[in-house]
Amino acid sequence: MKVKLIAFIALITLSFSATAQIDRSIQPTPGPAPKVKLGKVKKFTLKNGLQVIMVENHKLPRVSANLTIDNPPYSEGNKTGLSNMMGSLLGRGTNHITKDEFNEKVDFLGANVFFHSTGASARSLKKYFPEILGLMADGVKNSQFTQEEFDKEVKVTLDGIKSGEKSVTNIARRVEDALIYGKNHPYGEFTTKETVGNITLQDVKNNFNRYYKPNNAYLVIVGDINPKKTKKLVKSLFKDWKKGTIPASNIAKPTNVTTTEIDFINMPNAVQSEILVANNINLKLGDKDYYAALLANAILGGGGTARLFMNLREDKGYTYGSYSSVRQSRHAATFRATASVRNIVTDSSVVEIQKEINKIRYQKVTADELKNAKAKYVGDFVMEVQKPATAARYALNIARFNLPSDFYENYLANINAVTIDDVQNAAIKYFKGDKARVIITGKGIDVLKNLEQTVDYKINYFDTFGNPTTKPKMSMPIPAGVTAKSVVDAYFKAIGGKDKVLKVKTLLMKSTTKVQGMDLSLEIKSAAPNKQAVIVSMMGNTMSKQVFDGEKGYSEGQGRHIDLKGKELEEAKKKSTLFSDTSYATGTLKRIEPINGKNAYVIVSGDTEVFYDMASGLKVKTITTTKAGGKEVKSPSSFEDYKEVNGIKFPHTIKRKMGPMNLVFKIQEIKINEGVSDKDFQ
Amino acid sequence: MKKNILILILTLFAITTSFGQKVEFEEYDLSNGLHVILHQDNSAPVVTTSVMYHVGAKDENPERTGFAHFFEHLLFEGTKNIKKGEWFKIVSSNGGKNNANTTDDRTYYYEVFPSNNLQLGLWMESERMLHPVINQGGVDTQNEVVKEEKRLRVDNQPYGNFLANVKKNLFFKHPYKWTTIGKMKHLDDATLAEFLAFNKKFYVPNNATLVVAGDIDINKTKKMVQDYFATIPRGKDIVRTVITEDPITKQINAKAYDANIQIPAVINAYRVPSMKTRDARVLDMISSYLSGGKSSVLYKKMVDQKKMALQVGAIGLNQEDYGMYITFGLPQGKTTLADLTKGIDEEIVKIQTNLISENDYQKLQNQFENRFVNANASVEGIANSLARYNVLYGDTNLINTEINIYRSITREEIREVAKKYLNPNQKLVLEYLPKKK
Repeated sequence: MKVKLIAFIALITLSFSATAQIDRSIQPTPGPAPKVKLGKVKKFTLKNGLQVIMVENHKLPRVSANLTIDNPPYSEGNKTGLSNMMGSLLGRGTNHITKDEFNEKVDFLGANVFFHSTGASARSLKKYFPEILGLMADGVKNSQFTQEEFDKEVKVTLDGIKSGEKSVTNIARRVEDALIYGKNHPYGEFTTKETVGNITLQDVKNNFNRYYKPNNAYLVIVGDINPKKTKKLVKSLFKDWKKGTIPASNIAKPTNVTTTEIDFINMPNAVQSEILVANNINLKLGDKDYYAALLANAILGGGGTARLFMNLREDKGYTYGSYSSVRQSRHAATFRATASVRNIVTDSSVVEIQKEINKIRYQKVTADELKNAKAKYVGDFVMEVQKPATAARYALNIARFNLPSDFYENYLANINAVTIDDVQNAAIKYFKGDKARVIITGKGIDVLKNLEQTVDYKINYFDTFGNPTTKPKMSMPIPAGVTAKSVVDAYFKAIGGKDKVLKVKTLLMKSTTKVQGMDLSLEIKSAAPNKQAVIVSMMGNTMSKQVFDGEKGYSEGQGRHIDLKGKELEEAKKKSTLFSDTSYATGTLKRIEPINGKNAYVIVSGDTEVFYDMASGLKVKTITTTKAGGKEVKSPSSFEDYKEVNGIKFPHTIKRKMGPMNLVFKIQEIKINEGVSDKDFQ
Repeated sequence: MKKNILILILTLFAITTSFGQKVEFEEYDLSNGLHVILHQDNSAPVVTTSVMYHVGAKDENPERTGFAHFFEHLLFEGTKNIKKGEWFKIVSSNGGKNNANTTDDRTYYYEVFPSNNLQLGLWMESERMLHPVINQGGVDTQNEVVKEEKRLRVDNQPYGNFLANVKKNLFFKHPYKWTTIGKMKHLDDATLAEFLAFNKKFYVPNNATLVVAGDIDINKTKKMVQDYFATIPRGKDIVRTVITEDPITKQINAKAYDANIQIPAVINAYRVPSMKTRDARVLDMISSYLSGGKSSVLYKKMVDQKKMALQVGAIGLNQEDYGMYITFGLPQGKTTLADLTKGIDEEIVKIQTNLISENDYQKLQNQFENRFVNANASVEGIANSLARYNVLYGDTNLINTEINIYRSITREEIREVAKKYLNPNQKLVLEYLPKKK
């Protein structure tokens, strides 16, 4: 009876609340901030130097172990790829167990064990963990290297290199690092066929014996453990891992360029350009202005609300995402801003990225931006901090970077203490807009012409291995005998034959488009030889009208009437022909250029470039350049969806770019030799 | 979602698994048909709010492929009370993160916030469901963005077009024949009216499941859900017709070319039943047997011992109406694609002929047990699984019980299912080749 009563009350309350109105026009405000508690870790060090960090968490019956060997980086020179090869040969049999037995055991327990040149990892259900950690330890200490496995790995490595040679992103990352750090720097060198060929089995063994040592190593264990028992287990498994002498490493400091330059890598198969603006910096975790640098970067390009993203993606639609990063490091830190953009907007994207970098250097960020960036860091911290893996990572950072033990307790206070001036100072110091490498990996023939026109920086060319080279060929050779006239003749043939075209005396074309959601119609009437009237209307009301009767003309709209004069009149005389292509026959055939992957002939006639598809002969695009306010403005139009009307093919979709607007005109009606009279041109 | 009850129905499930890690949840319907699932986990001060709509690429007009994914982009453009460009800002300035993704079957939106912003997360998702602002400006920008996404993820990536070619050759009537990203021309042709109609048809509470998971108080959460979502009007019932494909009875051979690769690949693909079926789970186990781990038969034989392949694998792409079971290999050295296919087929014939060993069977069970424990490791992941099991499988509690299906699969079933679906006359052989310049 009692239960029922409670249920009844609950029902009443609920139906009451169901009718209560909330004001959804008001954004809810956050409740009191949740308490942040840092996870607890347990630490101990073995005599051989191995430092162990444990985090106990019983939420799931599983455990993971991660070994990090934190030696200083070293250059491998003409044997680049050696340590990677050593890493992939680890765990292929030890003096206790064959490779097949090892793999079978790991898989049988549904677990994972991985080895790499600077460590290893293992994860399994709790009940199998001692066995799995034992297997990992055996591989770490006792891996055997055989000629057979070595030869196999060489083959796989070579095939792997081959498989990436046409990948634009792969080549981009490789050359970017080579240019930023230098090809002799451990972070800039990369594996090639040649360097793999220089590596011997003995080199691999030497590398293992020299570098795969506990001296600078950390073992992190997270999960459903009993720390006491785990400590015992780790001791028994790792205490006989012998310490070594790690060779000293002397690496050159990467340098920045003295003035910003473009480094271009040509990839003929690219459909997007990989753009990277980068410079080297000195910044490591815990530096005084580390937090200011983080926040400056967060505002510039830290994510989906940062300036780069809002500008290049949300405003311009150039890219799926544009971001920046400060990569702190004890050895070679960098600042990077990136975007993958379609070929045609490569130059504009470089301009916009540089604009944003300069803006954050020379103008203070707003109080709101800083507040939001801080809130994001605080939120991330709150969400991360109670994961067991985070507690382990923080403890590892404190050890590796020699940070004070309360570093992460003070983290939020340090973030919150950053001022607007701090952000600007960090931006000036770390984002070197004037001394940056702008590295572009893309399709030269699509990209370079605009890039040369738009950007003032010197352009250097590099091959896919980061070696200096010359500018790629910008066009394909024009076949012998092909001229502007023959291209235009082929066009007339393709649309139905010149004889049919000559019989056209008048033309009526009605099309519609949408501007900011409103329907707009466009009616063009033309008559031979060069009369034309263009009427734009919206919902039946004429918005503007342009008329040319072959001798004189005017434009009308919004209550104004202007007669055509001077240059405009000259242009009208030239362009008002029924088929403007006739006049293009006297233009100059300039080059062959791909458009959307298809090659087209490009004829230049006056201020217009006209593109005729090589295969079909059809006109696919025009670009008209006009000067407005001292700036050149390009207005591209593309012609698609050719359909026959009275035996002549007309494009039925015409796309025009007018300023920021992309207009798509859909042809509704085309009439030949009817519906047009001389009255239309008065 | 099918029940139309005025006040909540509270369903508590009692399941026993051998682990102490059952995912507890409550689920009920609002009167407008919105299905609500609540999962409480107070171990960290974080909350996930998410909505899964039962609409994906397979619900598209064949002349408007890519529409569902495109629409997902549009729903970040703003709502009646959230101005254009503010969505991401609100999330990040409140310390949260958010994203969305679209598949052929469903579209999923989520936010993760520190738990003091639960109300904000619910407000945002309810705004999106009630009155998103969809206009031409947003369509124009996102049109370019989606094209860049396709270039980035598909056209500029080695092997990026392989799935498109598999789908095209395995499906002839069913909408799975096109890709989620779709044809760019279709997106160019799409009109604003079509987007509005799509919203009206599919983005309705009776086609959605809301999940709130993490550091919450159940009763307070229920009230907030009621406040923000109950007034959203119900939409028309959605009628779904599953298009049935004729069985494949003759091997299909196809070729595709990719300018971004130098090493070819061969793909053998089979059309298999819906992920909801027991057979689909058996096929999952067969994938693991073939290529899960270094001791798996395909890796061991083709990569390690015979050095025929650089990479080899078997994967089941599980979907609501049909699945695709795919084996693939990249040849090492001078191996031909035909030899690779032969090598893979031999192992399939062995599964069809002999029972796998007791030892291998136990290995599979251990692997699936491990997978099950790890599947529910994060609250975000749990939220997604709860939504998926509810929307696509029609049984939320599979999050706890699906492992029992795997446990009950026998060695004999593995042999029978391989015999039923993985025959040469049922498959597509796709040669994926470098494009010559």
